[in-house]
Amino acid sequence: MNITLWTYYFKTAFSNILKNRLIHLISIGTITISIILLASFMLLSTNINNWARKLGESLSMSVYLKDGIDEKSKKDIESAIKQIKGAEIKGFITKEEAMISLKKGLGDQAGLLEGLDDIALPGSFEIIFKNGSNGAVDPKLIKASLEKIKGVDEVQYSQQWIERFQGVMGMLRVAGYAMGALLSIAVLFITGNTIKLTIYTRKEEIEIYKLVGATDWFVKVPFLIEGAIQCLAGGIAALLLLFLAYAAITPKTIDIMNLPAINLSFLSIGDMGFIILLSLLLGFVGGFISIGRFFRSI
Amino acid sequence: MIQLFNISKSFGTHKALDDISLKMHKGDYVFITGPSGAGKSTLLKIIFGTAKPTSGQIIIDGINLSRISTQKMDHLRRKIGFVFQDFKLINSRTVFQNVALALEVTGERSSMIRKRTNQALKAVGLSGREQAFPLELSGGEQQRVAIARALINEPMLLIADEPTGNLDPDITKEIMVLFRGINLKGTTLVIATHNPELLKDTGQRVVTLEKGRVVDEGSG
Repeated sequence: MNITLWTYYFKTAFSNILKNRLIHLISIGTITISIILLASFMLLSTNINNWARKLGESLSMSVYLKDGIDEKSKKDIESAIKQIKGAEIKGFITKEEAMISLKKGLGDQAGLLEGLDDIALPGSFEIIFKNGSNGAVDPKLIKASLEKIKGVDEVQYSQQWIERFQGVMGMLRVAGYAMGALLSIAVLFITGNTIKLTIYTRKEEIEIYKLVGATDWFVKVPFLIEGAIQCLAGGIAALLLLFLAYAAITPKTIDIMNLPAINLSFLSIGDMGFIILLSLLLGFVGGFISIGRFFRSI
Repeated sequence: MIQLFNISKSFGTHKALDDISLKMHKGDYVFITGPSGAGKSTLLKIIFGTAKPTSGQIIIDGINLSRISTQKMDHLRRKIGFVFQDFKLINSRTVFQNVALALEVTGERSSMIRKRTNQALKAVGLSGREQAFPLELSGGEQQRVAIARALINEPMLLIADEPTGNLDPDITKEIMVLFRGINLKGTTLVIATHNPELLKDTGQRVVTLEKGRVVDEGSG
């Protein structure tokens, strides 16, 4: 490795950026916006995934009773539940408690329930299974057997949420990949065009370089570095702005209805590293495409 | 040193060079002359490798230019200095940086670049003008910067295309004295000019082109 040459490459790249600072600033700004969109999507996806994982760690079940059920049937149901291996009754929620809980879950929108005081919310046994997510318990089988008992209206379990949720997450993931690909193309396009502009402003200079015996790579490398610096700056700026926005959100926990709370967390070091590396790569590739086209044209 | 075998170059239907064969030896001082459009510049570009002949072969220092890779051509160009009528200087760079450029592309150490650039500028009488920008210099001074840049790699061959075309007679004389000195140190010189005054009493070899063909060879 020739240190003199590499010093020259970096000096030339930085000096080009300074000379064309307005073009580069606009371009870095646009790249920053694109990467913010991408990183926001990653942030959203990470948090939803963490929440889904938390949801899946414990298995809970609600055994809803039919309206007007007698005390004996209720006792039978209770003893049937107690016989299920690993099941623990957390409590019985009466119709009234169910209404209070629903109102609490709706928060500001609880007013929607006004005048519906006689709404038929069923009472329910709330069950939790220890080690419910390790496969030892088959919730579908338990649901089916409990629903056969007289007085049981319906059985719902927490993993039903996850099963439904996984479909949504799958769609979200595909949308994420598509968005990531589109935004990457946009970044490539922006970088490529900025480099193309700076190349054309220095067209005569490059011709003189070639006349004094510069190799193609001698001319190309500073432009590649320029593209990489530009995208790297965009990537770092995007992460910084996203972190500031994240830090500005005061509640780090979000409650939705009666589901487990979402504990917000920022992107992991790995995710941030991925964004930085992706930015660098896009910078190199964008620069490479523009340079290739220019050299084919001269 | 330079051997041209049946070189022809066409641009569409126009034949810029037609079956040119020439031989130049190490240390030669050759003028290529002829009216505008005779093919002088095209011939120099072919020798320099920036234009390819339509047919024929060119051998420089034992290397056949039609069989050379782009990278090897770049390296060969470092052994050939070229001086243009319009100087081809980078106006946003100082005199020193313009001259140093020819060494920077070789990956030479900075201390060596500094030393040799200063020597080259001294050789063309531009010591003290290192930090000036090309547009702050006279035409003659700009041409000296271009000559210093062409000389810095101690080329075996120096090619000049109408090097005094934009200069007044006094400065022309100075530049020609500079070229003579370079040639006396052993560098082969090929100069294209349409100015007959430049050839007078030089005693050097003169190749006259007309409509792309060699019509006369003699001495000035």
